[in-house]
Amino acid sequence: MRKVSRRTFLKYSAAVGATTAISGFPAVLRAQPPEIKIASIQPVTGVISDIGIAMRRGNQMAVDDINARGGIKSMGGAKLKLLLADTEAKEEVARTEAERVIKEGAVCLVGPFLSGNAMTIATLCEQRGVPFVIDVAAADDITRKGFKYTVRVFPTTSKFAESMLFFMDKIMKEKKISKIRGVLTNTGDLFGRVQGATFKKAIAEKKFPIELLAHIEYPLGIQDLSAEVSKIKALKPDVLFPVARPGDAKLMIRELYKQRVELQGIISPGSPGWYEPEFIRDMKALADYVMDNVPWYNPLGKMYKEVNAAFSKKYPGKYIDTNSGYAYLGVLVIADALERAKSTKADDIMAALKKTYFKQDLMVGLAVTFDQRGDNINADTAMIQIIGQSIKVVLPEKAAEAKYVFPMPKQLWERGV
Amino acid sequence: MNLNLILQLALSGFLMGGVYSLIALGLSLIFGVMRVINFAHGEMMVWGMYVAYTLLLWTGLDPFFSFSVSAVTLFILGYLLQRTVVNQILDFPEAMQVLPLVGMAMVFENSARLVWGPDYISPQSRFALSSHSIGFLTIDTPRLIAFSLAVIFTILVLLFLKKTDLGKSIRAAADNRLGASLVGTDVNKIYAICFGIGTACVGTAGGLLVPIMPLSPHIGAPFTLISFIIVILGGMGSLTGAMVGGLIIGVAESVGPTLLTNLFQGIGLELEFPQTMKQVVSFFILIVIMILRPQGLFGGKRG
Amino acid sequence: MKRTYLFLLLGFLILLGLPMVLSSYVLGVFIMIFFYAYLGQSWNILTGYTGVISLGHSLYVGIGAYTTYLLSLTLGLSPWVGMWIGGIGAGLVGLVIGFFGFRFGLKGVYFVLLTISFAEIGRLIFLHLKIFGSFQGLFITPHFSFWNYQFKENTPYYYIALGYVVFSLIFAKLIERSKIGRYMIAIREDEDAAESLGVNVFKYKMISIFISAFMTSLAGAFYTNYLFYLHPGTMMSMAFSIEIILRPIIGGMGTVLGPVVGSFLITPLAEISRSYFAKAGYEGLHLVIYGFLLVAVVLFFPRGVISYIKKVVTSGQSGLK
Repeated sequence: MRKVSRRTFLKYSAAVGATTAISGFPAVLRAQPPEIKIASIQPVTGVISDIGIAMRRGNQMAVDDINARGGIKSMGGAKLKLLLADTEAKEEVARTEAERVIKEGAVCLVGPFLSGNAMTIATLCEQRGVPFVIDVAAADDITRKGFKYTVRVFPTTSKFAESMLFFMDKIMKEKKISKIRGVLTNTGDLFGRVQGATFKKAIAEKKFPIELLAHIEYPLGIQDLSAEVSKIKALKPDVLFPVARPGDAKLMIRELYKQRVELQGIISPGSPGWYEPEFIRDMKALADYVMDNVPWYNPLGKMYKEVNAAFSKKYPGKYIDTNSGYAYLGVLVIADALERAKSTKADDIMAALKKTYFKQDLMVGLAVTFDQRGDNINADTAMIQIIGQSIKVVLPEKAAEAKYVFPMPKQLWERGV
Repeated sequence: MNLNLILQLALSGFLMGGVYSLIALGLSLIFGVMRVINFAHGEMMVWGMYVAYTLLLWTGLDPFFSFSVSAVTLFILGYLLQRTVVNQILDFPEAMQVLPLVGMAMVFENSARLVWGPDYISPQSRFALSSHSIGFLTIDTPRLIAFSLAVIFTILVLLFLKKTDLGKSIRAAADNRLGASLVGTDVNKIYAICFGIGTACVGTAGGLLVPIMPLSPHIGAPFTLISFIIVILGGMGSLTGAMVGGLIIGVAESVGPTLLTNLFQGIGLELEFPQTMKQVVSFFILIVIMILRPQGLFGGKRG
Repeated sequence: MKRTYLFLLLGFLILLGLPMVLSSYVLGVFIMIFFYAYLGQSWNILTGYTGVISLGHSLYVGIGAYTTYLLSLTLGLSPWVGMWIGGIGAGLVGLVIGFFGFRFGLKGVYFVLLTISFAEIGRLIFLHLKIFGSFQGLFITPHFSFWNYQFKENTPYYYIALGYVVFSLIFAKLIERSKIGRYMIAIREDEDAAESLGVNVFKYKMISIFISAFMTSLAGAFYTNYLFYLHPGTMMSMAFSIEIILRPIIGGMGTVLGPVVGSFLITPLAEISRSYFAKAGYEGLHLVIYGFLLVAVVLFFPRGVISYIKKVVTSGQSGLK
């Protein structure tokens, strides 16, 4: 027992020392307001560690930036301290880790990418009465359980489908296309399945002129898509609507190239895989003209420009995308709530969170504000497209950096790679 | 029924099966000689992939050449692993032998994450995007090359075991451990070399797969399971069995779901056998084989 | 022998009092210790005592979890009742697997692969059926009450998990002493000899797999109501099966206390490495360390920790004399 308390003490004094070093004032001259601990809980190991780590970085960077700007001003400039937790992509670990950070004094939790993990943590936060801000985890169900301590910054899956059809409608009207024959693919995990099914349902409900020739699913972490792509080729669709993850997105493009599948466009109803720096780096010209309907950064935003510059500097080759962007935003929302709550009591923070109206131009969409359920009603998606191997927002027009290109002017294998 | 599609699926499955064979050969060799299942097999394959990738990054050497470096690296790794860990557990109860290798699998996966980062990588290699069309069939060049090299490597390993003195003593040690040590063979050294060859096989396969699939630290585990299936299917300890088993599983997983869907619809069932359930085909084949012919397709009486 | 019981009683009394002094987090760790100790004990009945290695026990956890939850969702049946029905369901599936395995004489790795195959096929089927939430998984709405097996605090969960462990310990001890248990051990030691002495090997193996599957699936009810999310990809995976077998193997297979000892060793190891090496920029380090620790533990205690403890205790006793 004695050993532990000494270690905690050392940790604490080291943290204080570090803060002093940064602010440049000797501790004696300034009354130090107590640190406010919040926790980032993400799946940083296991099957989805690439995204989990990107999000942990987003969380961390937001905390550092807030501290550099003087911490929580209404509380005497109290600094934030980010506790790190790893769910290992398992529910039982998610619960234990959440318990741990709550015990270590976290007044609010932020995370995780996986909806299953989010469900477990949300229930725990309900049991313990600790505010929980979901930064990315899109399954609608989580906020339909009447949780009082959970809010979500990310758009729900129904929002994705709604925007997707809005954008498709615009493209089809402008290009005078009356009907699109498409193939929908998705990864066989929670996110992929929900995203695929919601898109399919939205088309059917609105009688939208997209005919889905097939709905192909494959397991998450698949290493070979040749069979699936052969099927797609046999169906001769106009457009491919793929819901993917970083690994299979690359596999898909290469397979489409090698099997010479003719397409007018590749338009994702909303998924990772198509916008990460590694995708463009590895696929080069093959990445061009891919469109994705995602909650994206606002390219015209001042906040975005600053954050992205700092992020790319700290992590060379990386930029702010959907996940790291929302991870950053999630922490900002917490800081804003703390600022207004002037307290670290759970109920005060929660009351402030519920009243959030946080103006931001980091991500596409208006100010963050939550409905009864705790969903951010102003979260929105943008249609992005890779043009000349860089990502451009193409729709909605008010945030557009470039005009979309459709149909693809060159098939994959005509691009001289 | 779309015959072209079925043929296309069969072809790509067959080519992939060649690589599966090589992975399974490594597992089979280790199991045949030491009676230990290498639960870190898939994770070691990922290391083979990263070695080839790193060489491509530093020197621009194509993975279809640098797989030999993967093989050597993984041989050394396997040799050391056998000497430090596996050799200590040979006489443990079967269930006990699982643990250290599961632990090593964790070590391999997560150290790869620490060294190379978590992101998916699919490097641009020379043949990554090339393919040929013959009639309605598309032949994927990297798969064809990987297949050919895997088959060549497999044959070389078989020749080594059949023709060289070292290979003969490995086989002798497999048959009778006590006997081999009585004759004066250094059994421990033989075992370490054998384990090294087993992991070199999987390292080679890893190198060959770099142009075919994106690599990330966690992708290894399914390969352990699939090679396990292949080994039992082909016959425990039978190296020919591992080869043929790999091809069978490759084709079955690729063609199975589509064929079954056609079959369902043929008998008037509106049922689709989804691609996501393709492993069910392999497991089903495995169960049937184990029940009807437990020694596997090519296994001798010994089982 | 008496001293062992005294120690156990003392330990049990201490454990009973712990919720009064420990934080919710540490209780959570204890809950995980008990949870895995119980699962390990269930597996131990089949593998430790009868000597039939299974690597597909996550299947039974899944069957238990889904049956319990779906019965409470559709019929409003309390999980306290539903879990027994789930247990019988899992037991029957166990009998099917056992029938194929034992009737056709699959032993060693063959039986391992048979159990893996059934578990993986089960996982994939569950993953594709809408009633099981399909790929989306089932999000369980919490209604905190005793009848619902859902609680706000960790203390009730702690006592339930402890109850599971005590039940499994007593049960294992009873089996060990019974005729069934003696036959099971005889089969493990030498199947042919047991057969020639007139033991109905097939029958006792079937009994053993039924009990083991039945017990395992009861833990599914706990999983459901503790974590509120069910998805075959995690709790029916092979990784979870491996997680189940780690602790009894390290503690000592075929012993009553082995799974508990193993769980008290391994669960905190995982926990400590995770909380002490959670450093940004070193994601995965804690699992490297944990992996090495697993290897080290097996190399140090090749016969299981329990046999080592026994040796120390007996040598201590002889030293006293």
